[in-house]
Amino acid sequence: MTVTAAPPAPVSGPPAPRAGRARHRAVTFALLAPAGLTVLALVLVPLVLVVRNSFALPDAYGGIKGGFTLANYTELFDPVYLKVFGYSLGMAALNTAVCLLLGYVVSYWLAGRPPRRQGLLLLLIIVPFWTDFLVRTFAWINLLSPGGPVNGLTDALGVTHGPAQWIPSQGASFVGLVYAFLPTAIFPIYATLRGVDPSLGEAARDLGCGWWRVHTRVLLPLVRPGLLAAALLTFIPTLGVFVIPVLLGGGKNQLVGNLIVTLYTEFRNQPMGAAASVVLLVLMIASVAVLGTAAGRLRRRTS
Amino acid sequence: MRGRTRLPGRLPDTVTAWLARGVIVFLYVPIVVVVVLSFNDSDVTYKWAGFSTRWYGVLAQDTDLLAALRVSAEVGLISATLATAGGLFAAMGMGRLGPRGRAVFSGSLFLPLVIPEIVLGVALLSVFGTLKASLGLTTLVLGHLVVTLPYAALIVLGAHRALDPALDEAAADLGCGAWQRFRLVTVPLLKQALLASWLLCFTISFGNIVMSTFTSGVGTTTLPLRVYSLLKTGLTPEINALGTLLVLFTFVIILGAGLRQMRRVLIGDGTD
Repeated sequence: MTVTAAPPAPVSGPPAPRAGRARHRAVTFALLAPAGLTVLALVLVPLVLVVRNSFALPDAYGGIKGGFTLANYTELFDPVYLKVFGYSLGMAALNTAVCLLLGYVVSYWLAGRPPRRQGLLLLLIIVPFWTDFLVRTFAWINLLSPGGPVNGLTDALGVTHGPAQWIPSQGASFVGLVYAFLPTAIFPIYATLRGVDPSLGEAARDLGCGWWRVHTRVLLPLVRPGLLAAALLTFIPTLGVFVIPVLLGGGKNQLVGNLIVTLYTEFRNQPMGAAASVVLLVLMIASVAVLGTAAGRLRRRTS
Repeated sequence: MRGRTRLPGRLPDTVTAWLARGVIVFLYVPIVVVVVLSFNDSDVTYKWAGFSTRWYGVLAQDTDLLAALRVSAEVGLISATLATAGGLFAAMGMGRLGPRGRAVFSGSLFLPLVIPEIVLGVALLSVFGTLKASLGLTTLVLGHLVVTLPYAALIVLGAHRALDPALDEAAADLGCGAWQRFRLVTVPLLKQALLASWLLCFTISFGNIVMSTFTSGVGTTTLPLRVYSLLKTGLTPEINALGTLLVLFTFVIILGAGLRQMRRVLIGDGTD
């Protein structure tokens, strides 16, 4: 792969222009082929196949029989499934909101530190970000167990008396989600905020803006691209999560991710799993579009 | 608007500063708890019964987990290498494209980043099902390649763009062929980025669970999949011990190499 991608060129003089251009093209193609073909064969073609399978009939062995039906989609309109979609959207929206708020607070504080400190603090946030996802999730089982550290603290504060059953619960599941996605939300917000001239905030303050106005009228509009990126990086993956609701939520209140995994592995109904995946994909595209227009409208209003 | 001086900003700023510090502490509490409880001499994770390293001994004897560790290491090794190589060639190729072609190519390259991973997994499974391919190491590697390639491309592309093209031209003027320039100029200059990309891809692959759920076969259970199924029956101190080793592994990777590259990927440029 490596050698054929860049064969040694003749050292003696430049080749004829036409042949040179053809060779240039061939080399460019050879260099782009590994990644390009990977995306084509392992992402684009598979996505088309999922859409196709979502209209297919299941066979008795958990496979695809072919044919064409809309039944997979109409079945997803069952209240049981609609509830999952509604709950997922709500949970993802709430998680995104909390992550954006905390992400902005941390980024604002971080951007105000001396440059050297910023690097160190950023490193502090990178460590949890790269810590194994499962470790970060089961850490909360430790923390929230009856008689565990959090319980001990609330006992000491007099909030609880004796072992408390916090896990599994929707609340635990939500805490796990926030914990998992908070670092992801911080990075893009900080990246844009860092590019904002701090004197703008000071100028606004000097011109009589209070703390609230400095943020809502000056800083937030300038950080909008970062907030948008953070929203997407939080919202989309939350919908697809399935580990956190199972381990911390007890699997009772499921997200779309759980639905898809259950349809594939337990119900062995691939076409319906494919249909649920397509719905997730559509939800994702819709949320990107909504966030995009919301950003556009905001921009028009402020300008 | 009343004429205000600088003072009113102070109190809210203090509050947000403490909130921010609180958030950073919040990020560490669970990790510290896992580490501390892994040394707990008790069969129940959360009841402290004195210091002990016995769970690390139990962990070292767990053949199931060790087998899963082996699978994860193999898959991580192969997919990180393929992803980094693919990212390097893509970066070199994209430098030769026009702006339009570059936009289209990078758009499709980063597409997997915005598609829910679970959909990517389901999609790959559909292909494997259609081809009647048996799930195993190969399908796992392909799945992990899908999730790691965009990150490899992000890192290597960023570093490649920062290269001074004059260096390559100078080498050409001095009579270096394409292969020599690749081996003696491009790769050495990108060494750090390539290492960072490889390590990050390995970590992503090693911790991956969503994609692995759909692409692993019988006998190729990865470590996260194994731990996940163990966790469904309950958390044990042994898993905390394993978690502690994984936290240590994160530290080694981050501090060992590529902090600058990582920063470049996460927050943009890495000039400081």
